[in-house]
Amino acid sequence: MFQQIIAIIIILFFIVRMIWQKKNKKIKNNEFVFWLIFWGLAFFAITSLKWIDKIVANLGFTGSGIDILLYIAIIILFHLVIKIRFNQVKINNQITKLTRKIALDEKD
Amino acid sequence: MKIFCIIPAYNEEKNIIEVLEKLQKLTFSNQEPVLEKIIVVDDGSQDRTSQLASEIAKKNSQIISLRHLINRGQGAALQTGNQYAIQEKADLVVHFDADNQFIAQEIKDIIKPIIEHEADIVFGSRFLEKKSDIPFVKKNIIMPLARIVNKVFLKINLTDPQSGFRAMNKKALKKIKITNDGMAHCSEILFKSFQNNLEIKEIPITVIYHDYGQKLNGGIKIIKDLLISKILK
Repeated sequence: MFQQIIAIIIILFFIVRMIWQKKNKKIKNNEFVFWLIFWGLAFFAITSLKWIDKIVANLGFTGSGIDILLYIAIIILFHLVIKIRFNQVKINNQITKLTRKIALDEKD
Repeated sequence: MKIFCIIPAYNEEKNIIEVLEKLQKLTFSNQEPVLEKIIVVDDGSQDRTSQLASEIAKKNSQIISLRHLINRGQGAALQTGNQYAIQEKADLVVHFDADNQFIAQEIKDIIKPIIEHEADIVFGSRFLEKKSDIPFVKKNIIMPLARIVNKVFLKINLTDPQSGFRAMNKKALKKIKITNDGMAHCSEILFKSFQNNLEIKEIPITVIYHDYGQKLNGGIKIIKDLLISKILK
């Protein structure tokens, strides 16, 4: 219960911070909606742990709901890291193309 | 035959003038210059490499100076040179390092199989007859490991997996587009030569080591870059 309260406080802190950023136009609309859904789902998951426990048990897993949430979080993080890495490679390739074009256009 | 020499250079102010002088002096037996153009691709050096190359290029039409505004890696610099050579309709391109470790005279050996239509691409090898004073760890650990990586990942079996001294004809130049900006381009060029069924030849070259060159962590980065480029395809 205590851990749940801490998690909820953290989630609420991020939601409030996001609303403040939105008010000050520091984040775009689509970013705001994405993170609102993200933190909303996190809030829902934390407040519905018992319900998630039941679903997890019915699916035949031996771990508790929080374990499954943790595994899902790790998978999502791993996916995001790979996606960022690939994007970085693509951006690097584009920078190289641009650098090359300038070099060829401005030869001595 | 239009023969271009491409020199990727990064912080080579100590060597670039000497390398260019040696290359300019290179002539066939009839005293005709071997190289029609010598292209220095400065890869965003922080020293005076680009300035020196530009000054020489202004005085001598044989030399062309290209400059990457930011450092993009040796593979990227070579591809910039290759693209310039394609634009200028070169018949034969030689890749040559700016660190004064290769011997300019050996360019004549490396282009010979292409001129005589025996090969589309020729790789210089430090591990054939001629003796290069290769550092112990490099010779006995790094290079054998690189050969294994090339054999396992790319199914390539050549004696020198990381030689930067090579020559290619127009056909090879057009088929091989270097996409690995860093040092993984050596393996990429080897792989694409096999993939495109090019006629490949290895010839012995001499390398004079002034510094250590590629270290083990550089080798690990090459493997990482190769893996990423494989996954991205």
